[in-house]
Amino acid sequence: MGGAPAPLADMRTEYGNALEEVGAADPRVVVLGADTTDSLKTAGFGRRFPGRFFNVGIAEANMVSVAAGLAASGKTAFASTYATFVPGRAVDQIRNAVCYPTRGGKKGLNVKLVVSHGGLSVGADGGSHQQLEDIATMRAMPNMRVMIPADARAVAALTRAMAREYGPFYMRMARPKTPVVHGESQEFEAGRGIVVRDGSDCTIAACGTAVAAALEAARVLEGRDGVSCRVIDVFSVKPIDAAMLEKAAAETGAVATCEEHNVMGGMGSAVAEEISQRRPVPVVRVGVRDAFGESCRDPQIPQLLEKHGMSSVHIADAALRARRLAGR
Amino acid sequence: MPPDYCRMVRDVRRARKLVARGTAAAGSGHPGGSFSMAEIVGVLLFGGLLRHDPGNPDWEERDRLVLSKGHAAPGLFASLAVAGYFDESEMDTLRSLGSRLQGHPDLRCPGVEFCGGSLGIGLSFSVGAALAARLDGAAHRVYAIIGDGETDEGQVWEAAMAAAKYGTDNLTAILDRNCIQQDSHTESVMPLDGPGPPGRGAADKWRAFGWNVIEADGHRVGQLHAALRAAAAHRGAPTVVIARTVKGRAVEHMEGNPKWHGKAPDPDVVPIIEAELDCQVAVAPSITAGGSPDLEGEARRCEEAGADLVHIDVMDGEFVPARTFGHERVARLRRATAVPFDVHLMIARPEKSALLYAEAGGDVVTVHAEACGEDTFGEIRDALRSARAGVGLAVSPGTELPEWAVRAAPSIDQVIVMSVVPGRSGQKYMEEAHGKTARIAARLRGAGFSGTIEADGGVGPENAGRCFADGARALACGSSVMGAPDARAAVGRIREAAAAERRRLLVREAGRLGGPALVEKWVGLHGGGCRAALEVMAAAEVA
Repeated sequence: MGGAPAPLADMRTEYGNALEEVGAADPRVVVLGADTTDSLKTAGFGRRFPGRFFNVGIAEANMVSVAAGLAASGKTAFASTYATFVPGRAVDQIRNAVCYPTRGGKKGLNVKLVVSHGGLSVGADGGSHQQLEDIATMRAMPNMRVMIPADARAVAALTRAMAREYGPFYMRMARPKTPVVHGESQEFEAGRGIVVRDGSDCTIAACGTAVAAALEAARVLEGRDGVSCRVIDVFSVKPIDAAMLEKAAAETGAVATCEEHNVMGGMGSAVAEEISQRRPVPVVRVGVRDAFGESCRDPQIPQLLEKHGMSSVHIADAALRARRLAGR
Repeated sequence: MPPDYCRMVRDVRRARKLVARGTAAAGSGHPGGSFSMAEIVGVLLFGGLLRHDPGNPDWEERDRLVLSKGHAAPGLFASLAVAGYFDESEMDTLRSLGSRLQGHPDLRCPGVEFCGGSLGIGLSFSVGAALAARLDGAAHRVYAIIGDGETDEGQVWEAAMAAAKYGTDNLTAILDRNCIQQDSHTESVMPLDGPGPPGRGAADKWRAFGWNVIEADGHRVGQLHAALRAAAAHRGAPTVVIARTVKGRAVEHMEGNPKWHGKAPDPDVVPIIEAELDCQVAVAPSITAGGSPDLEGEARRCEEAGADLVHIDVMDGEFVPARTFGHERVARLRRATAVPFDVHLMIARPEKSALLYAEAGGDVVTVHAEACGEDTFGEIRDALRSARAGVGLAVSPGTELPEWAVRAAPSIDQVIVMSVVPGRSGQKYMEEAHGKTARIAARLRGAGFSGTIEADGGVGPENAGRCFADGARALACGSSVMGAPDARAAVGRIREAAAAERRRLLVREAGRLGGPALVEKWVGLHGGGCRAALEVMAAAEVA
């Protein structure tokens, strides 16, 4: 990564395109929406495959449960809306209708909850719509896998992977266009992290839009502090790549995490849980500190992140703090 | 295919016993809602409505039975066991560590389609299943049983809107309208009927949501069966069958009592409950007893009176001097009501036509012991069985139940003990029939008989209790009901007379099983006027 800013790409557009692709390849794929199908870019699937597209209106609990019923009858059901509503309004349905039903080797039903508008970068819609608790609730659900992709390429690849792999998935996208941080040939697999930048003095584990910020923080650390920082994209928060994290802890001795999520129960917590019992080293978590967000206009998103201590400089400082705690 | 009425009734009774047994063993569970939906599940699983295969629960083409009101799991499990999905003894593991029979339905139990428990989800799930079936061009149906308390959940109405939008006519919802939820009566916790005439609001709501609505008595398998068949035939919109039920139905101290929503019976009262379940009485008014030639009108009058069965006397002018009508007339009459037909053939050579009466819609077809021997009865029985009709055998006043009939007892569904001379109306009950009925009941008891003894002739409110005490569990009533100015009131009086005897019998049973302490406990479970009556009986028993 040089000085040139990474190109931006829209996650939802990639999601919609990938859905049409998997829908064309597999007639079992069905898509559900809750009056946000234009926004989620699922409407294209609906135009192409109207018989397999169900817009149930503003009824998220119903959407998730109808998806479960379709999945129980052999369909691969993608259900999409905004993150504040799914999981927000439908945690019970996700738990009892999607994750819980288990027969034979099939754990949970084949429902993919793919949502947009996660985190503070929702911006103008404000705190009511800035979903900051979803990773915590979703990763606490047995049988649920939690994907927080960093860019549009990851979204497309993971959409294809979810269509292939049986079982419940939760995938959260960001509202704004996001920098493309992964190469075209990058592969994505649930349970496997990606080292997006190597380094030896500390590690930043990040997910979602925070991966780009982590990369920027690594550049700050290198230029400002002369510290070599490894950056891991923990897009698969559950299952998490414990081996990769253990190796990073062993080799770099200090870990920071960053995510657009409450520091309680999110990706940072998941990382700390693994490291504390595999290779205990300091873990300093960057995220929203048990608070709600607030409105900001798009150009002000960096200021909102700054206000919550989540700028790339804050992330770099967190990495240094982890190093200090480690006695370096 | 007509429903196998006698088998259904027996299987439902068996399932109720298993609910009592399982919840008592577990020390918790929800008998109230299990009993209110017992006939609903029974009609589906045992009545030939649900296409399913207990030996192959994952059969692709099966109809899907979704129990959304998941707390009634004991009722579902018990019925699945009776249907043959697993051994009935497994009910003893209900709610126990490692059991497939979890506190709420779980996919680890064969036959379970949906993990109910969190209310309000199952109808949405069923909409999804119905949409999937349509996408696949599959012919199977989806049946969702929902509770009335459950419809407090807004999601039910989200699902209702979605089902109407997509016109899922391959989905039938059955509302178990027992009017009680955990805290209290539905209309006080959260009114479902709302303002307006009682009982109307729920139907109006579903209609307003675009559903086809059918109302039915949820404890009468004939009506339920007809309603569910009509639902399956409806095109363009989903159907909800609003099944009027009684929470705790068939166990008097649980009936209509919110306390038994989620409380298990104690193990020591289970045998008394089982005895009570064997003591349900069916009232079968005789359609010709009113003397009206308008049989259709009389059938509807029976239905409105609350008849469990319509008793149809067929006379041929040979076996008895009188002559009524033949099977063609019964077949036409079948269209007038969904109440099961109790066809009493007072005809010679019944082997020639018994099957025709079954095919005409007779749910139980009874022939006379005086008109057949062991061999011909065997033929008749096999023919009726093949038509899935109940098999009945009648004895006239001068006849004892033949020895061959006792040998055949396990395959007989009904024994009619006549207490008047057949073929003539307006006779009085012959008092010697009481002793004879009791004798026959005693002989059958040890012979593997699981059917019903029906008293027929001169039965009314004044002697119904005595007939019940003799061992009759079905009462064919002639002019006492059909000749009464208020047939419904007459049926009510007959039921009450039988119920009083039942209470006495159960108090006696409690005393036999556990002495005065169990009698006191049993009586204490009851409330209201019934409690007072029981206390008097208990005092008499102790004395």
